[in-house]
Amino acid sequence: MTAIELRGVTKEFGDVTAVRDLDLTVEDGEVYGFLGPNGAGKSTTIDMLLDLVRPTAGTVRVLGADVATDGVAIRRRTGVLPDGFSVYDRLSGRKHVEFAVESKDAADDPDALLARVGLADAADRDAGEYSKGMRQRLALAMALVDDPDLLILDEPSSGLDPAGAKEMREIVRAEAERGATVFFSSHILEQVDAVCDRVGILRDGELVAEDSVEGLREAVGGEETLEVAAAGADGDAVAAVRALAGVSGVTRDGDELVVNCDSDAKTDVIATLEEAGVSVADFHTREASLEDLFLAYTEGDAATRDADTAASTSTDVDPTGGDPTDVDPTDVDPTDAGPGDDDPAAEEVDR
Amino acid sequence: MSIAAIARKDFQETVQSRGMIALVALFSLLVAAFAYAVRPTGQSEQFATEVLLSVFVGRFLVTTLVPLVGVVVGYNAVSGERESGSLKLLLSLPHSRADVVFGKVVGRGAALALAVFAGFLLPALVLIAAPVAFNAGAFLGYTVFAAALGVVFVAIAVGCSAASSTQRRALIGGVAIYVLFVLLWGAITGRLVGAAGPVVDALPVSSTQVRVFLRVSNPTTAVEALSNAFLGEQLFTGDSANQQLSAAAMLVFWTLAPPLAGLLKFDTDDL
Repeated sequence: MTAIELRGVTKEFGDVTAVRDLDLTVEDGEVYGFLGPNGAGKSTTIDMLLDLVRPTAGTVRVLGADVATDGVAIRRRTGVLPDGFSVYDRLSGRKHVEFAVESKDAADDPDALLARVGLADAADRDAGEYSKGMRQRLALAMALVDDPDLLILDEPSSGLDPAGAKEMREIVRAEAERGATVFFSSHILEQVDAVCDRVGILRDGELVAEDSVEGLREAVGGEETLEVAAAGADGDAVAAVRALAGVSGVTRDGDELVVNCDSDAKTDVIATLEEAGVSVADFHTREASLEDLFLAYTEGDAATRDADTAASTSTDVDPTGGDPTDVDPTDVDPTDAGPGDDDPAAEEVDR
Repeated sequence: MSIAAIARKDFQETVQSRGMIALVALFSLLVAAFAYAVRPTGQSEQFATEVLLSVFVGRFLVTTLVPLVGVVVGYNAVSGERESGSLKLLLSLPHSRADVVFGKVVGRGAALALAVFAGFLLPALVLIAAPVAFNAGAFLGYTVFAAALGVVFVAIAVGCSAASSTQRRALIGGVAIYVLFVLLWGAITGRLVGAAGPVVDALPVSSTQVRVFLRVSNPTTAVEALSNAFLGEQLFTGDSANQQLSAAAMLVFWTLAPPLAGLLKFDTDDL
């Protein structure tokens, strides 16, 4: 069965198109990471899954039913951690979970759920006194009521400290092992790497890539970037390097050559430069990080090429482009404005 | 049951709200003060309780303060949750939007009814202590009418809240409801009837009937008519029985129609 199925979904808010002709399928039992920078349309898509927002065009089906007509029945089997929610300030944590249990006609023990998300000690306090991270945990406890078939988590790690984010991932993993489908959004790729079977990357309301994290890495190029301090490199030397097998691009950056190549080709690059009479003062390599990869899809132009590469990731299409003037997606500084900037605590990497 | 779950949650939240507690305390003190001030001295009059309620408490406190508490309790029911984002948490659970609107009418209506009973408790003690024949039946019965009045205003305000996309609009709506029904109903409807004179003449009813209808159409005056009939032991009997029936029907109308109208709008909104 299909847990989530969007067909030709478009959502316009006035003049703004938040989601554009989106097709998306999440199979039963899958852990699907829904990625994209802030404003890409992730929350709008999730709001449409919950029938909070109605699509301008297209159909949204969850757990085999149409959200427009069977929303309540769907949500009976779904656990949701919404984004930008707030709690009931005057009700205790336990009251919140009791309310979810009652709403779902379930038999769960609220205290057990609160203990599972690490809120056992705060169960009797008013949720209005909770920190952002505690509220996030509380909503997760509510989402876990009645062992839902589908978990929809919108930016689940936001507001959590590194330990909290790790616990969140452990719960996601445990729920997936139980057999639940998990659909969650994030603007940080590192968070999804560890838990996702598949990721989809949304950009400007369109799905620009969909694959396993490994597949995406290959599509962008399982490459390294070699930075060589070679002041004397002339055009011939650059051309010689570019002609090497395994080298996909060479850019000159002042006294430095930036070479995108397979890791096997590194020694060839240095050797070729020295053969051409260039003295190599220094060189170092860096692997394309997940952040780079993500930025390549969401800001660079790997996305447009992905149409070719995603179909068969084994082809040799050059994802970074041979043209030295091309913006090199792996060269984007990950500390630049964008996804990395939001919440340092939420960026914790689970390796 | 979805409505019951929401009603219970909202009830718990509302009875803990400081604003509501403050209003009820104020109400209670005022009624008690009235009861003390106008307590019959010397010869104990048989109608003391009834007179106190219908002439003093009813006219000056219940018909002004209870609708106010109702509007305060109801106006942010849906829009408040919508603006804060707790509505997302609520609608993540298996509730329909109709469950939300009517659950809130029930939960906040019940909270307000409880508040009215609590508010009448202190005055009752004053009256019991005062040297008069305290008519507990009349007092309790009157409390029920006061509570009903509050519930109607909660329903109107919740309907308005459901239709409002922001708290500001809901607040403006709440103020408008109060001004219309409590302060200006007579003046506005009087002018309307005056302006619509020719139309009224064309109808197969007299303009007096129209005026009476408009009077009982206002939940405040409807409750006043019913409670006065009750205190005069003429509830649904006597000359004004038909008028009382219309009044009761209008109260039911005002309890159901505004939430339904609000729901129509709320149901189509993107949240």
